Amino acid sequence: MTAVEPRAPGGIREQLVRTLADLGRLRAQDGGVITIRIPAGALEQATHAAAGTPGVRLADMFAADGDNTVLRLVWAYEADEPGYVITETEIDGEQYPPLSDIAPAAFVEECEIYEQFGIRPAGGKPLNRLMLPPHAATELPTLGHEPSRPPEEVHAPHTVGGQAFEFPFGPVRQVGVESLYYGLVTSGEEVVDLYLFTWHKHRGVEWRLRGKAVPEAIFLAERAEGLSAVAVGWAFAAAAEAALGVTPPPAAARTRAVALELERLYNHAAATAALCQATGLSVGQAAAEIALERLLRLNASSFGHRYLFGVVEPGGVGRAPDADVLRRELPGAYGELRRVADALLSTNSFVDRLEACGILTAEQARRLGLVGPVGRATGLATDARLAVAAGPYADHPVNVITAVSGDVFGRFQVMLGEAAESVRLITQFLDEGTGADRTLVPSRAGTGLGWAESSRGEVLAWVALDGAGRITRARLRPGSARNWRGFDDACRSQNVFTDIPIIEASFWLTAAGMAR
Amino acid sequence: MPVWFVRGLRRGVVTTRYPARPDSSAASLPTPPAFRPRELTCELVDRMIAVCPGPALRRSDKTLVFDAGACTACGWCARVAPGAVASSGEFELAATDRSALVKTIPILGEQQ
Repeated sequence: MTAVEPRAPGGIREQLVRTLADLGRLRAQDGGVITIRIPAGALEQATHAAAGTPGVRLADMFAADGDNTVLRLVWAYEADEPGYVITETEIDGEQYPPLSDIAPAAFVEECEIYEQFGIRPAGGKPLNRLMLPPHAATELPTLGHEPSRPPEEVHAPHTVGGQAFEFPFGPVRQVGVESLYYGLVTSGEEVVDLYLFTWHKHRGVEWRLRGKAVPEAIFLAERAEGLSAVAVGWAFAAAAEAALGVTPPPAAARTRAVALELERLYNHAAATAALCQATGLSVGQAAAEIALERLLRLNASSFGHRYLFGVVEPGGVGRAPDADVLRRELPGAYGELRRVADALLSTNSFVDRLEACGILTAEQARRLGLVGPVGRATGLATDARLAVAAGPYADHPVNVITAVSGDVFGRFQVMLGEAAESVRLITQFLDEGTGADRTLVPSRAGTGLGWAESSRGEVLAWVALDGAGRITRARLRPGSARNWRGFDDACRSQNVFTDIPIIEASFWLTAAGMAR
Repeated sequence: MPVWFVRGLRRGVVTTRYPARPDSSAASLPTPPAFRPRELTCELVDRMIAVCPGPALRRSDKTLVFDAGACTACGWCARVAPGAVASSGEFELAATDRSALVKTIPILGEQQ
């Protein structure tokens, strides 16, 4: 495990902007994020240029309806001063260049865009059903034009090549685990292939956000992925604030940061409990759940909600933390988690199941655009908390925890390191002062990108507002929507059946974040 | 053998008390609404139904039908009708029958 110090400013941003601007036209600079309009004919070349720039990754891709559908690609540059650049391209007709052939991370979004807007990459590659259930009908309308043909179902044949067979698992799973269907293709013990159906939980959140004013929309935004309510809420609020040109007061920004780190702490404790459950250590699971319960109660007593809903509001925050309670009880609650972790790290039957299990390489993580502890465990120092020029994380830079093994053990170590870092940051934010202030949010037109680092990784949000300040398009991209695409690769890496729950616990993703 | 186990057998108590101790943060947590029938009017109830993000509220003539099983305790109904709605403080929502979670509240307020 290593701690990566904050990086010095550099020139990758300038190189990326110059390359893209040569192919298109600089359109806007919304809240510090540059948007470049690329003609449809130059989109393939621009994608090649951006994807080929060292330190640049495709962070998101989404569409919005106008006279023609507009395709937006969000590029993150990470090698020096981190940040984002957006390209937008008007697509005339039903096809655009096959961008996932250039940037494989785009494939999931290509599927989603086809379902929601009816445009598809040229070349006729099969696009999977991702978001909309087959029976969605009028209850869950598409965001744009319906596709001319329904998306493909990726059911593998139940007998594959006479040797392997498909083992269906889900969508109804044990206890409170979310609805998710695994198609496990196995030869009996080894995992040959794995695919997911995530659409059982689709709620049409982005569709429901349309027409809402920002203050009422955040209620739905933070429920897109309830276990990342603060992170998704912050990203959404930041996008709206960028669109409207407002900045939250410093004390309110620190309040958000305290809530975000508390969210990270309880999620990492929950992942630890899930790892114990997956490895059959019921005593360790109970001990980790005691730590989790203490952290959730700490959330309740300091912020008035166990899962920190309702803290983030556009322009600031709705509640300030009870700093005295946090100072008094956080060390004990974190100490409980640390005690469990130390015991687990000296338990061979636990560590042996984690080591060399569910391995992802840095190259796979880079290619698929993986974020959060999953990406950092492969050695990538991707962290949206670094991509800030001002605010709490600029005043108190985060030490990004990374590992190099890329396996479940590496992810567990990253989570433990991050939990300690969260406690350090919370203490610093409280010392500097928190409050429940808010900057007035005006009602006017604009577009903006926002981001936050959830316990699962980078969350992105993009909003477009009309003249009355109502949402015409909102895009929410939680960390889970990014990292599920690495799950099947991790499961195929020389693993057996019983490793899958362990790998899933170490990813600690939500079906809701994918199926929002 | 643990002392508590022997003590429990002697007293006939085989489980711990529930809750073992009061939760100090309970008072500040969001809970489902409690309605004041005399403050409710049809117009007010319709406004509450319009803001409810789920299917927890509906009106049947002069009766408000509240489904506590569909309520997420978001507090939006209390925002539009602060005089007619308060937080119930009620956490114990378990029931043996789904229909027990659906409550009917008479609308007794005068129309403006």
